[in-house]
Amino acid sequence: MKQTLFIQSIGLPVLLVLGQTESAWALQSHGAPEGIYVHQMAHLLFMGALAYLYWHTRRSPVLVSKGWKYLQLFCILLFCWNVLAFIGHTAFEHLVATDFIQRESWGEQLAPPLSVTKVLYFISKMDHFLYVPALIALVIGLRTFYLEARMEAAR
Amino acid sequence: MIGLPLLPVITIEFFGSGFAIVLSFMALRYAWSLVRLQPDNFIWGFLFSFCIALAAFSLSRGVGHMLRIILVYSDHGAIWKKLSPFSGGFNTMLIISASAVTIYYHKGLQAYKAIRSKAEMLTAVNSQLATSAEQLRQLNTHLEEMVDERTRNLSESEKKFRNFFEKSKDIIYFCDINGTITNINPSGRRLLGFNASENSVNFHDLFNNPKDLHHYLRQLLENGSVSDLEMECTGKDGTTRHILLSANAIYDPNDAIIGCEGIGKDMTRMKTITEQLISHEKMASVGQIAAGVAHEINTPLGIILGYTQLMMDDFKPDSEIGVNLQVVERQAKACRRIVADLLKFSRQAESVKAPIDLNKIIEEVLSVTEHTLHIHHIRVVRRFAAELPLVYGDGEKLHQVFINLFNNAQHAMEEGGELIVSTGKTAENVLVSVQDSGSGIPDAIQNKVFDPFFTTKEVGKGTGLGLSVTYGIVQEHNGAIEVESPVVDPITHTHFSGTAFHMRFPTTDKKNVNDEEHQ
Repeated sequence: MKQTLFIQSIGLPVLLVLGQTESAWALQSHGAPEGIYVHQMAHLLFMGALAYLYWHTRRSPVLVSKGWKYLQLFCILLFCWNVLAFIGHTAFEHLVATDFIQRESWGEQLAPPLSVTKVLYFISKMDHFLYVPALIALVIGLRTFYLEARMEAAR
Repeated sequence: MIGLPLLPVITIEFFGSGFAIVLSFMALRYAWSLVRLQPDNFIWGFLFSFCIALAAFSLSRGVGHMLRIILVYSDHGAIWKKLSPFSGGFNTMLIISASAVTIYYHKGLQAYKAIRSKAEMLTAVNSQLATSAEQLRQLNTHLEEMVDERTRNLSESEKKFRNFFEKSKDIIYFCDINGTITNINPSGRRLLGFNASENSVNFHDLFNNPKDLHHYLRQLLENGSVSDLEMECTGKDGTTRHILLSANAIYDPNDAIIGCEGIGKDMTRMKTITEQLISHEKMASVGQIAAGVAHEINTPLGIILGYTQLMMDDFKPDSEIGVNLQVVERQAKACRRIVADLLKFSRQAESVKAPIDLNKIIEEVLSVTEHTLHIHHIRVVRRFAAELPLVYGDGEKLHQVFINLFNNAQHAMEEGGELIVSTGKTAENVLVSVQDSGSGIPDAIQNKVFDPFFTTKEVGKGTGLGLSVTYGIVQEHNGAIEVESPVVDPITHTHFSGTAFHMRFPTTDKKNVNDEEHQ
């Protein structure tokens, strides 16, 4: 079950990405696109890890504290953030210089006409609406654990 | 056409990054507090590691975003271009680190669970060991006291049952499946007539009646116990005893009988007393019948005798009729004697009573009969007690008692022997025993010797009224007579052949007391 999940979440995208390489060298050089590929793979790996953590905390009967509910919420939000970040990075890769107006200035805009890629990029730039709530959920969850543990220690 | 301004997005990105850094370090702080609070908790350890990776990522990413915004929008884009790969690389590396921590959480948790399970098991075992150690310590502390107490209780219990076993007047025995007695108390040994040195005595051999033995064994086998079985047994010393027996079978762990244990009560004396009571009742009944018959016969017999004597005056003594009348007179007188004896037996004869010294009475009778006894090679032994209390009685009748007993003794010792006449006294009675060394009286007829007309003599040699008359006279004197055959020495318990008649007469003092009570 866990292996299947691992293959589906991480292994398969990795295989697909690697399958596109044209040749294999004994000492492989690392070109410019490799950085974004690795970063995207890292997002996929993180999504898989978060999914597993969510699944495990849900199925473990001993993890019944209210703190775990917040931790599960953190997993969901951070998983969504990863998806959004992945989309944002991908969208950015498809944008060119002409898609921006007044680039690298405070008046920077996405040039019309707006496309799906541009809108996705725009939305993904506001990923902190997911990332910050996710961290808030994590803080609340850990605080709950801490208070419970302290009460237990006091007892 | 208007473009989509990115300033709000950039603003959100800038402040969001700052918030993210702050929040991630808050999370790290709580995780650190948890680890400090419960250092052995693996999950807190995992969350702490995860928070480190996440805080590092948030810091790297946040600082990177903020630097980018500051540098790019302040015309220092060239610097950012140099820093950008490092920021991106750090971000990627830290995302992977956070992922790796999460992935290894799985294996770590499994190991933690296994260790915790073992630890809990060890804790439980340790707790049990501690409990056991405490119990052992307490046990050890009190062991000596407990051993002492239990030994004392056991000793008391053993002493109690041993005392009961040793002091009981009844037979208490244990025997194996074959009936061999494995243990028996002193009363049992005494009653059954064997000593402690005898090893192999079979209880089953003591049964006189095979039917009793069969019943005993069958009851044990079928019911596991025997209750109130009356058995007659002959001990090793030849004494016949009547035992009331109750026994239980002893079983092994497989419910197989391996022996039995039982208690026997000696009922010999009780049985003798019961038989004597029955005999007394019978004798009383017979006495009443005899008295009635004697009265009825006495009158016509007197008439027959009177008319016979009148007729004898009318005929010459040597004439045939005169001779016949003499025979009739003689037989009528014989009948009168018998009737007189019957009346004596039934205590209907008149008597004149006065205080009497029995030693003197016996001596008077012996002075008459001793010569005859000597002729029959019978030696008379006198064992008279000195200063014998007086007995309130009829001297003539008491003479009759001893004459009858001495005559019987003489008949019992046709080949000669020894006649022991002894007297004694107790607080209330005068005791007299007449003992011969003759052939004795079989057990079967001992209860009949006092019956009227019961005799073992040949026809014509005795009427069978001698002992009946004796019995009647003793009863008339409020005394008692018992027969013992063979004779047992009261001290050595040795058996002698012969017969002893033991009599008991109340002394005059007791008689006076009884009279006063009646008045």
